[in-house]
Amino acid sequence: MEENKNLTAERSLEIITEQIERSRRTITQNSSKSLICWGVCVFVFALLIAYLWKNCGGPVWNILWGAMWLFGCLGEWLISKHKEPVGPSFVGKTVGQVWAIFGIFIGAIGLFFCLNGLGLLSVDFTLPHGHLYINLTSIISLCFGIASTTTGAILKNAFMQICGLIAGLGGFFVALLLPGVEQLYVMAAVALVGLILPGVAVYLRNKK
Amino acid sequence: MFKPLDPLLHSELRLAVMSLLISTEEAEFPYIKEQTGATAGNLSVQIDKLSAAGYIEVEKTFKGKRPCTLCRITPTGLKAFEEYIDALKSYLEK
Repeated sequence: MEENKNLTAERSLEIITEQIERSRRTITQNSSKSLICWGVCVFVFALLIAYLWKNCGGPVWNILWGAMWLFGCLGEWLISKHKEPVGPSFVGKTVGQVWAIFGIFIGAIGLFFCLNGLGLLSVDFTLPHGHLYINLTSIISLCFGIASTTTGAILKNAFMQICGLIAGLGGFFVALLLPGVEQLYVMAAVALVGLILPGVAVYLRNKK
Repeated sequence: MFKPLDPLLHSELRLAVMSLLISTEEAEFPYIKEQTGATAGNLSVQIDKLSAAGYIEVEKTFKGKRPCTLCRITPTGLKAFEEYIDALKSYLEK
């Protein structure tokens, strides 16, 4: 790109559009790698925990979700080392914040029920007419869907928004119909539809 | 009536640099070089011009042991860019 004294208004507009689009593409491309990383982690761990739950020992294997978090962070660190060196942007930061808030909510709920299940907390949720039943997979699926759809809206990606809606609402209702261990298959499906598929689609679309 | 175009921004490379910095809070020199396809020498000269006008600020820092030049747009640069776009509209509307 050299100095051009006879720059037309059309060419100026073209340069501006081109550069903003390039930058947006890089940010979207970087975001898609994180979506795929966390999607694969949830998918693999949901199926692994389901297998172990069924074959050796029961729901205690849910403790492995903690290990998934470590794997996810490791993956995120590896991705950050190979990301294109685009600086922080409003879009990139907003997408990061959406998923960080999702992580905080789900992490807090998961930790609470884990500690409660292990007997380290002795909270007994009751309603006036009996015990309260909380379907954690439904709640997580719904939060997944909200975060995924919001990310799609920020990145202006309709496919991601549709996937987020299907994963969130589908996961919420299907998990209500299934008992215990079967819900982990719902979790795997939610990760596949809500994270992996849109992540791969965005990655391929923006690949140079 | 055509509005005057800021001569500092009315250059392919300087305009490309400013457009790139509009969508990111800051960018490293190699990234700008790659995205604009400019040579290091030419880019360096144009960045100095934008910096001297107060449109961008340049921070020399280190990334590990390697030197790293960070560029970010300033409020003055943002205002100038907005005015440039506004002026551009008057040419495109005709």
